[in-house]
Amino acid sequence: MGARTDKWRSGIKQIIIIIMDDQGCPRCKTTKYRNPSLKLMVNVCGHTLCESCVEMLFVRGSGNCVQCNTPLRKSNFRVQLFEDPAIDKEVEIRKKVLKIYNKREFDFYTLKEYNDYLEQVEDIVFNLTNNIDVERTKQMMEQYQRDNKDIIQRNKAKLTREQEELEELLLQEQQGSEQRRLETLQEEQRQLQAKRKNKQALLDELEISKLPAAVLLAQHKDRASQLETQIEKQKQNVKPANIFSTGIMMGQTVSLASVSRVEEVLYVYQPLCIDTYGPPVPELDQLGRLGYLNHVRTASPQDQAGGYTSGLACHRAVQDAFSGLFPS
Amino acid sequence: MKLNIEGLLVYFPYDYIYPEQYSYMLELKRTLDAKGHGVLEMPSGTGKTISLLSLIVAYQKAYPLEVTKLVYCSRTVPEIEKVVEELRKLMDYYAKQTGVKNDFLALALSSRKNLCIHPEVSSLRFGKEVDGKCHSLTASYIRAQHHSNPSQPVCQFFEEFDAVGRQVPIPPGIYNLDDLKDFGRRKGWCPYFLARYAILHANIVVYSYHYLLDPKIADLVSKELAKKSVVVFDEAHNIDNVCIDSMSVNITRRTLDRCQTNVETLQNTISRIKETDAAKLREEYRRLVEGLKEANVARETDIYLSNPVLPDEILQEAVPGSIRTAEHFVGFIKRFLEYLKARLRIHHVVQESAPQFLKDIYEKVCIDRKPLRFCAERLRSLLRTLEIADIADFSAITLISHFATLVSTYSKGFTIIIEPFEDRTPTIANPVLHFSCMDPSIAIKPVFGRFQSVIITSGTLSPLDIYPRILDFRPVTMASFTMTLARTCLCPLIVGRGNDQVAMTSKFETREDFAVIRNYGNLLLEMSAIVPDGIVAFFTSYIYMENIVASWYEQGILENIQRNKLIFIETQDAAETSMALEKYQEACENGRGAILLSVARGKVSEGIDFVHHFGRAVIMFGVPYVYTQSRILKARLEYLRDQFQIRENDFLTFDAMRHAAQCVGRAIRGKTDYGLMIFADKRYARADKRGKLPRWIQEHLTDGSLNLTIDETVQLSKHFLRQMAQPFRRVTTRTFLSLFNDLNQA
Repeated sequence: MGARTDKWRSGIKQIIIIIMDDQGCPRCKTTKYRNPSLKLMVNVCGHTLCESCVEMLFVRGSGNCVQCNTPLRKSNFRVQLFEDPAIDKEVEIRKKVLKIYNKREFDFYTLKEYNDYLEQVEDIVFNLTNNIDVERTKQMMEQYQRDNKDIIQRNKAKLTREQEELEELLLQEQQGSEQRRLETLQEEQRQLQAKRKNKQALLDELEISKLPAAVLLAQHKDRASQLETQIEKQKQNVKPANIFSTGIMMGQTVSLASVSRVEEVLYVYQPLCIDTYGPPVPELDQLGRLGYLNHVRTASPQDQAGGYTSGLACHRAVQDAFSGLFPS
Repeated sequence: MKLNIEGLLVYFPYDYIYPEQYSYMLELKRTLDAKGHGVLEMPSGTGKTISLLSLIVAYQKAYPLEVTKLVYCSRTVPEIEKVVEELRKLMDYYAKQTGVKNDFLALALSSRKNLCIHPEVSSLRFGKEVDGKCHSLTASYIRAQHHSNPSQPVCQFFEEFDAVGRQVPIPPGIYNLDDLKDFGRRKGWCPYFLARYAILHANIVVYSYHYLLDPKIADLVSKELAKKSVVVFDEAHNIDNVCIDSMSVNITRRTLDRCQTNVETLQNTISRIKETDAAKLREEYRRLVEGLKEANVARETDIYLSNPVLPDEILQEAVPGSIRTAEHFVGFIKRFLEYLKARLRIHHVVQESAPQFLKDIYEKVCIDRKPLRFCAERLRSLLRTLEIADIADFSAITLISHFATLVSTYSKGFTIIIEPFEDRTPTIANPVLHFSCMDPSIAIKPVFGRFQSVIITSGTLSPLDIYPRILDFRPVTMASFTMTLARTCLCPLIVGRGNDQVAMTSKFETREDFAVIRNYGNLLLEMSAIVPDGIVAFFTSYIYMENIVASWYEQGILENIQRNKLIFIETQDAAETSMALEKYQEACENGRGAILLSVARGKVSEGIDFVHHFGRAVIMFGVPYVYTQSRILKARLEYLRDQFQIRENDFLTFDAMRHAAQCVGRAIRGKTDYGLMIFADKRYARADKRGKLPRWIQEHLTDGSLNLTIDETVQLSKHFLRQMAQPFRRVTTRTFLSLFNDLNQA
């Protein structure tokens, strides 16, 4: 009975496959089921033809669509990707439109404007696909293209933010998997080597050692199991501990005891003291009294606006001069 | 009995308490005190449910501000009913002891199918039909139409409830599903909506896992539960699989075809409405432009269509402009659908991540990530605007929109696998797109985040530490309790060899081995001769069982077994299985005894108890590893290794052992029960497998019961059964227990 149901089921599936492969060329009536290598093509008008019909009808490189009489070029025929040729057409149009309407979200001040813009784009695509107001829409597109030439040029190379995010994620994924693959490969190799070494050691010992073979074998077994546990441990060590949702590392206990006090002398600031080996340097407020200020240019009102006084420059010059003295 | 548990007065409705129940309550109380999550394992049949209930109820009564609500999640309707009955017992005891009338409101909640009292709707057979029909009678726009046109049928129960039910609170008491229906009939209110409304202020709610874990349902039912609730997941050993299933989507060619018809219906409806009532569409459009959220008032009945979990900040944002108008959105769905169709036309398996999928979809049909993310939300709004009453038909397109939303929302933790055919039938094209969740923590994260205490408990949770890891939470208590026994009433034995010393194992290399199959047959034959009443045998898979039974038949073993007992077999067909089960029980009742051959992970192994004479011995043939060649499993294992540092083998062994434990645990359902547990595979004797069995089984596994031959097994079993056949006096347990009670009360 089981065999019979199976047969019945496969029959049903067969029928389903036939239905699925019911797509065919509207002109020569060949279907995918009868000719599995059938290739359906679609042009800008969204009507299907099979490859051989295209070859036959468009020998001269151009002609009219059999169904809607639109003038078509042979070079514009594409392989039909989707079951519904209208979608092929729409995607084709959409790609063209998006090449021109390529403003990004950051070109707009508010989200609302951006959304309105998106809707406008969608309207254009919709009109072109469904042949509503084609002429007017095309004019509109040209107008837009003229008006926004530089933005279009500029945005050509730029991806939208979301696409950037996606690219980044993909990159991360790739790197992660590559790294993991390498790690596991290395790990395996290391283990293999260790095991081989162990085996070789046993053979050597059996050759050289005077101990009875049984003892040696037992020793070897012991060593092998040790190696195993070591590998096991390594595996656990290599992997970083996982973090809980709370951000606390796994397997780590949180200690609530206060941090122990460190018994050390605290740092104390001591002012810098430089020995100039000469007479004491006059302080800033002494400069005028000692007559140093007589030898520098008095500050103009423009200079003083920024907080400059002639004393500052003088003081620095005096300091420079005094620190140049060396004991003889 | 009154207990003092660390200063908390607990009423316990029985005269005796087992020590493990006491320590269970102790741990539970500490968890509640700490306001944290807990993982607790206690063998089935030791009164886990009543311990949980009596402690949490006592806690609620003592600290009504700390714990406001208990949400008890169970798996099946019978289990829910059992919990409510225990609760009733407890509340009666409270009333008797304190003399105060019970002021608690506890109720069970289930699907419309189990709660509907509308004569027409409740007569439908399938849950989906009931939901759809109910929706077509209670949706807000249907009711609005009813106002202007009284011939439009509506559900009078819902109308009644809506008119008065909300103002009058349901009187305190314990309500199971039947009580709710009775109450609803008496008042003329719809019990389903009454229950859904009442859980907001009930003290105790008992319902199924899905109401919390499945984001599509949780969003409607459990959204407004308070943070100060305690959530209990009972029988939670499979909780990770429930989480994963609730987030995964499978799309077949049939789904897409149905979706296609849905899209056509939508398109027709839109063009019709445009002609007759364009203002409606304009109104929706205006709302979407302004990014207004739907007013949720009076929309209670519409939320049958819901969106999967979304980050809140996205829900606050306005729907992107490219799918704002109805036509554009339908075009968008069409493109998405055609893209999926094209993806399903493949000849080899493809596996990719969500970002890869999104990139490809942009290149092929220019669909951005953002509109995809809003797909579910937008569809919901459209369906509501179009006022399509019969929502059940739109399940396909809803599924697709959920898929779109999920795939664009989560970049991690999911994988997309497209298989052109099933593994078993590689010649028949049957393409399936699995959008598979690999991280159970995604679905359960909101639960852990939202409620102050979540308790995960079951009879078999060993090894305990793996659950916090795969569910990604931090428990404050993890404990495994064993069973205290007046007599050793369980006898686990690990049979490793046949009498001919050939190793017995279901390992892939040797599973077809003639000697192994014969030895398995001999084991069953010998056991059927000495074990009284029922024997339940579990195999690792249906195919393996078929093979073995066929070759037993050829070898004449089956005939010999049938001299001792009748044989029943579990099949994949649910009706056949329940028939076999019924007849098996009948045979056991008759005293002759019977053997039930079933499959681990099947229906029998998960939900059916074999108390007393229904199961005196359980034989587990082989280790029930999951089918490891499945791509979904492989992807999940890889994810576990990368994200949680759980090695493939560890997880597979853990999974196999929890199912083995679940199977053998079927026989022991209480302390007066007894049964043999025979593990017929030499691999069980290894420390890594044995260590993953629950503690209460491990304790009874001595070195003498490892790696036995069939003869030795028979000897040990005979001895065990003879001991168990001695009259069992309650007195022995009683003295032991009352001694314990004295100690406790002192």
